Amino acid sequence: MIRKKPAIVLFQCQYCLASSMDQYWVETELPENVKLIKVSCSGRIDPLYILNAVQGGADGIMVCGCMPEKCHYKEGNLHARRTLSEFCNFLNLLGYSQDRFVFHWMNIDERGVIQSLLTEFEKNLEKLGAQPHLKTRTFSQEKA
Amino acid sequence: MPTTRDQKIQAEAKRLLQEGVVDVVIGFTKGTLPYKMQPCFIQHAEDVEQLELNGLCSNNLAVYLNHRPKDERTAIVVRGCESRAVQTLVLENRHARENLYLIGVPCIGILDLQKIQQHEQDPVLAIQEEGDQVHVTLKSGEKTFQRSEILHNACLHCNHPLPVNADMIIDEAGLFEERTFDKSYLESFRSLSLKERYQEFTKEAERCIRCYACREACPMCYCEECFVNHSRPQWVDSTIDPAGQQAWHIIRAFHQTGRCVSCGACERACPMNIKMTYLTDLLNQDMFKEYDFEPGLDPALMPPFLALGEDNEKFGVGPEGSHAG
Amino acid sequence: MQAKWISKKELKKLLTAWTKHYLVYAPIDNDHELAFQMVKEPARIVVDGYSNTRYPAKSLFLPQSEVLMKYDGILHSVENTEKEKILFGIRPCDAHAMQLLEHALVDVENPDLYWKQKRESAIVISKACIAPEETCFCTAVGGSPFNTADSDVLLVEMGEDYCVYVLTEKGISLCKELPDAEDTQLQAVKKLTKKVVGRMPVLLPKQELHNALMASFETEFWKDVSQSCLGCGVCTFLCPSCFCFDIVDETVRKERVRNWDTCMFRTYSLEASGHNPRPTKVERTRQRIMHKFAYWVDLIDEIGCTGCGRCVKYCPVNIDIREIAEKALHREFEGMKK
Repeated sequence: MIRKKPAIVLFQCQYCLASSMDQYWVETELPENVKLIKVSCSGRIDPLYILNAVQGGADGIMVCGCMPEKCHYKEGNLHARRTLSEFCNFLNLLGYSQDRFVFHWMNIDERGVIQSLLTEFEKNLEKLGAQPHLKTRTFSQEKA
Repeated sequence: MPTTRDQKIQAEAKRLLQEGVVDVVIGFTKGTLPYKMQPCFIQHAEDVEQLELNGLCSNNLAVYLNHRPKDERTAIVVRGCESRAVQTLVLENRHARENLYLIGVPCIGILDLQKIQQHEQDPVLAIQEEGDQVHVTLKSGEKTFQRSEILHNACLHCNHPLPVNADMIIDEAGLFEERTFDKSYLESFRSLSLKERYQEFTKEAERCIRCYACREACPMCYCEECFVNHSRPQWVDSTIDPAGQQAWHIIRAFHQTGRCVSCGACERACPMNIKMTYLTDLLNQDMFKEYDFEPGLDPALMPPFLALGEDNEKFGVGPEGSHAG
Repeated sequence: MQAKWISKKELKKLLTAWTKHYLVYAPIDNDHELAFQMVKEPARIVVDGYSNTRYPAKSLFLPQSEVLMKYDGILHSVENTEKEKILFGIRPCDAHAMQLLEHALVDVENPDLYWKQKRESAIVISKACIAPEETCFCTAVGGSPFNTADSDVLLVEMGEDYCVYVLTEKGISLCKELPDAEDTQLQAVKKLTKKVVGRMPVLLPKQELHNALMASFETEFWKDVSQSCLGCGVCTFLCPSCFCFDIVDETVRKERVRNWDTCMFRTYSLEASGHNPRPTKVERTRQRIMHKFAYWVDLIDEIGCTGCGRCVKYCPVNIDIREIAEKALHREFEGMKK
C-alpha cells in the first residue's frame, strides 16, 4: 500500500524569502502535500489560522518569518514568535504534538534553505505518522 | 441578619452615594432562589440595605464595566479576582481608573453548588453560612460542610484573595492568606500522555451547547465581535460537533493568555458544568514560567502578548545569529 | 380518555418489552444530571424521583444541530429515516411546550417537515409531577403538573403503582392489555392532584399581563430588568418552547445545517447592512419576555412559557422570569388599559 505523504501547511511571510528564486520555488514548485499560506507578515498569522489547518487535517505546521529586527513592519515577527510558540505549547497540551510544529526565522543569507527544511520536516512527520487528534474539520465522507 | 461585613459595605456605599462620589454602586443582593445571589446596581443611598456579600455570589462583577457607559462614576464591591480583573481592564484602556471606586473585600471564597448537591435531582432548599461552617438543607436532608470542602475549584487554587489597588478595604478577615503563584494542581494534567490529554479535553468540550455563557460571564471577553460570530469568513463551525466545540474552547482560552484572572466565573456560569479554568490556568502558568507575569497584579505591566520584550535569548536567536527550530 | 392501572414492577417489564420493538428515549442518569437518551439498557432508565432533565426534551424533535441537506457536486436532501419511537418520562411542561411548538412550526403555511416527521413517529408518555420543585411554576402560566396536552399517555405515580391515563389512539395501542383503574383509585388520584396543585403558584392574569407589557414597551422598565443580564443563551437554549434557529452552510463539511439560535445574541438580529434593530441587551431581554407573555397571547391566546423553571434555575445571574412578570403586573405604565 502506498502511504500518503504527510500534509504540511506552510505559513510564509512574504518578505522572509530574500531570494526571488526561493519565492518562485515556493509559489510554483511546492510538492503537492504542502499547502502554502502566504501572509503579509508573520504577525498576521492568527492562532485561529493554525487551528483551522490542524482541524482540517494538517499533519505538520511550518511557520516562516523574518529574523528579529528585520521585520518589514518593525515588530510583527516578535509578536508572532511570542504568541505562536505559546499556541504551539498549548496545542501540545491538548493533543497535537509540538514535534509537528516548525518555526523558522529566516536570515537574509539563507538561500535555498526552505527546500531542505521542508524535506527534513517531512521526514520527521513520516516518523510520527498521521496526526490522530484534533482532526475534526474535514468533509464528513473523508472522516471514515 | 446582615453580617458586620455587609454593614460595612452598606455604610461605605451609602457614604459614596450621599456625598455624590459615584453615580452607582455595583454589588450583590439576595436572589430569588435560596442558592443564588443577584448582581445589583444601587443608585440611591436609601437602597443600600440591599447590598450583601456571601459565598454564593458567583459572578465576577467587573464584567459589568463592559456593559455600562464609560463616563459613569462607578463603585464596585470587589474581591481579589474582581480587583485584578478591573486592573486588567483599566490597563487595556476599557475604563478610566479615576471613574472607578473599588470597595475591596478580603475574599471568603465562592461555594460550588455542584459540590453541595451531589446530584442535581437533590436541590438545595436553604443555605446558611456561619464562619467556617456551611449548613445546607437539601431535599434529602440537612448537612453541615466545612467551608473548604465545598469551595469552587477556582477559589481553592486562588493565590491572591486580597483585593489589589482598592480605594478602601473592608476590615474583615478573609478566608486565606496571599500566596505565591501556585498552580501545581495542573501537574497531574501535564503528566498525562498526549492521547489522555486529548481525551480529557474532548470529554469536557463535547458537552458544550454554545450558549456562550462562559464568554459573557468573563470580564476579559469584551470584543465587539467575537471570532465565533464572524461570518465572512466563518472561522469556526457554529454547528454542535467536535470541530466547533473544540475550536471555541481552544481559542477562547488562548485569547485569555496572560489576561485571565482565574476567577472561575466562566465555569460557574456554564449550564453544562464544563470544566474550563484548567485551560486558562495552563496558559497562565506558562506565562508565569516564561515571563514571570501574573495578570492584574501590577497596574503598569502589560500582558506578555502586548508587551514585546526582546526575547532573543529565550528563542535562541541573536540579532544576526543563527536560526532556531 | 381511558384510565388504567399498573404496578411499578409491571411497568418495568413493559418498558423492557417496548425497547425490543421501539426506540425508547427516557431520562438516563449521567453522573450529576439527567438527560433524555436512547435506551440501550432498560435498567438504567430513571423512572421516579426526578424533577426534570436539564437539557430540554425539544431537542429530540428539533435537535440543536440538524443537517437539512448535503452537497457534493449535486444536492442531496436528507431522507426520512425516522423509526417509530417512544418518548418516556417527559414532564407535562415539556409536553405542553411541544404543543406550542406545533403552532409555530406545523400549523403554518409551510410546515416544518423535519419536525413533523420526528414528531409523528413518536409516542409520548408523560409523567405527572407529584413533587414539583421550587423553580416550577406551570400553574402560573396555564399549565398543570398533571397536564395532558400533547401526550399520548400520562402516568401518575400512586405509591407502588401508576395510574395510566390513555389519551390517544397511539396510546391505546400501547396499553390495551392493562386493567382499568377502579373508582376508588381514581378518587385517590383526584385527591392527589388537588393537593399538589394547591401548593403551586396561582395563575397569572394573562390578558392583564399582556396589556401591562404592551404598555411598558418604550419605558425604563426594561432597562431595570435587563441591567444584570449578561447576554448569554442559557435561558433560551434550555427553554422547552424557544424554537429560533439559524441556517448555516458548513462549507468544509458540505452540509446545510440548522442550528439553534437565540434572540439574546447580538448577531441574531444583526442585519447585513450593519444595522441592528435590537442593539443592546435591553431590547433583547424585552424580546424574550414579550415573546412569551405578549406575542404568543396575541397569536394563539396562550402564554408561550410553560413554567418548567429551567431559565430561573440556570441563569448565571439569577434573572427570574417570574419576578419580571410580577414586576410588570405591579407597575403603573402610562396609557395602560386596566
